Amino acid sequence: MSSVLSFAWRSLVRQPARSTLGILGVAAVGALLFDMLLLSEGLVLSMRDMLDRMGFDVRVTASEPLPGQGADIEHAPGAKRALEALPAVRSVTSVRSEAAVMRGNGISVPDAMFISVDGPTHPWTVTDGRDIAADDEMVVNRFTADTLKLSPGSVVNISASCGGRAEAPPRTDFRVVGVVTIPFEAPQRAAGATTIPGLEAACGGTRAGIADFLAVASAGDTAAALAAIAAARPDLTPFTNEQIVGRLQQGGFAYFRQISTVLITVTVSFALLLITVLLTVSVNQRLGEVAALRALGFSRRRVVLDVFCESALIVGMGGLLSLPLGWVLAAALDDILKRMPGIPEQLHFFVFRPDALVVHAALLCATAVLAAVYPMQLVARLPIATTLRNEVIG
Amino acid sequence: MSALPSSTIVEATSVTRQFQMPAGPVFAVRDLSLTIAAGAYTAIQGPSGCGKSTLLHILGCVDTPSSGSLTFDGQDVARLRDHARSLLRLRQIGFVFQRFYLLPMLTAAENVELPQAEAGVSKPTRLERSRELLEYVGLAARAGHRPSQLSGGEMQRVAIARALANRPRLLLADEPTGELDQATGEHVAALLDRVNADGTAVVVVTHDSALASRARRVLTMKDGRIDRETTA
Repeated sequence: MSSVLSFAWRSLVRQPARSTLGILGVAAVGALLFDMLLLSEGLVLSMRDMLDRMGFDVRVTASEPLPGQGADIEHAPGAKRALEALPAVRSVTSVRSEAAVMRGNGISVPDAMFISVDGPTHPWTVTDGRDIAADDEMVVNRFTADTLKLSPGSVVNISASCGGRAEAPPRTDFRVVGVVTIPFEAPQRAAGATTIPGLEAACGGTRAGIADFLAVASAGDTAAALAAIAAARPDLTPFTNEQIVGRLQQGGFAYFRQISTVLITVTVSFALLLITVLLTVSVNQRLGEVAALRALGFSRRRVVLDVFCESALIVGMGGLLSLPLGWVLAAALDDILKRMPGIPEQLHFFVFRPDALVVHAALLCATAVLAAVYPMQLVARLPIATTLRNEVIG
Repeated sequence: MSALPSSTIVEATSVTRQFQMPAGPVFAVRDLSLTIAAGAYTAIQGPSGCGKSTLLHILGCVDTPSSGSLTFDGQDVARLRDHARSLLRLRQIGFVFQRFYLLPMLTAAENVELPQAEAGVSKPTRLERSRELLEYVGLAARAGHRPSQLSGGEMQRVAIARALANRPRLLLADEPTGELDQATGEHVAALLDRVNADGTAVVVVTHDSALASRARRVLTMKDGRIDRETTA
């Protein structure tokens, strides 16, 4: 086999321009293929990762829609206490968010995300200063800190919209105690967080006791916590992170999978055609040589194997080259897509997973085999005598 | 390499080769019978299109007669499967072509080594045999050169060395001097003489009367048949 590979390699080297073109073509197509594979599951994996990193494994809403998309939970403190009493539940955190105008140092930011929590686990990471400990304290994201020139100790003034009520909310001052990273924060969007009493005060006491959802950390068994919550509060709907991701996959995220499936088909077809054309042209240019080799006693299997090895080498080298190329391309495309408004900073469209490599390799292997079928047939069915005669006449 | 046994290597009996053309069937070889004995030197002459090359291809087991039979070493070639035929050509028959068909990406020595590798000869034996053969054809100094660095005559000598690589009993040459000038052609012809003198049966198809005159048996073909046979 090694001598056949070596022979095929020398056949490729013999036509360096054509071979280079083929390898680069496969590298480009392979890079796109790799990226499409990363894209097909990227958002889902990234979302799952973000959900897991927040420290909750069950989210409870008032209705079937996903957390943050449906009706609010009324009497949230009571619901929180009920869930905390369940043995399968370790902790419960109420989460409520509103849009707000933030002001500081004479600068204002409209449409800021104003989050509030009530519970032991806060879904953010402090990067500067400390976490909130009182209802008049607030943490802000880096964009807010930079835009409003805030730092721990500064005062920020909030006007919350509080469910779109008609009357203007009171302006409330909060003391900034820290700068944080919030998992679902969008770049270039101001965000801040305080306690639920703090947000309710900023809302002037209206719509008190509501929450968007309750974030639950189970005692270790997510399924048991889910079942316990469903039994204890049938009026609420609990979701595991897995179920949330599943819902997203059935919803908007399915488009990415469909797009990537279409593009994978197109790129593989293109690679197939490219290699088939290159090999066919190459074989057609040396039919006389192949006929001569057959006349000298080379078996049909051997000359067919030569063509297959050439295909395998082109696809193999192009495939290897496609991985770093695809990696760079994925990073650039991810950067472009993340510039869309409202996309959380930590969400990624292209996420590496080992099985993408396996699928990538399998698809390229299949391409190498299929692309070689026609030129292999040409060689296998070559009439030796007729070809030698035609070569002399030609 | 000096004994010349009289046993038959290849025998064609009432061989016909017909090609289906749009205008009707064309008979390249008609009802032709021929025997090539071990150590023989046979030239086949005739005008273009008379069936010389087709006959050579049939004798070399690369073409199949439409009717009649061909035996090689007593084996009915028609009964051999493709792989067995390939092995027969690899081990018993050497081919020399008008256009040489050396592989351009290989050196002269590697071209000679190639059929041996296909036959499963070990690397050290191949290297030694290739060196011997290039010395035999007077090109030992050009062993590392690629075909593009060789003259036409040199390429044909390398092709002869390649054809002899697996010590064939029969060497078939189709217009071996067809692309060479007269002086170079004579060198190649002399080499074929030597190959035959060393015990390999040679069948050469040629338009070159000087080359044909070196053979002990000259067959002149016309319309797919042997029109005349002369023996030296």
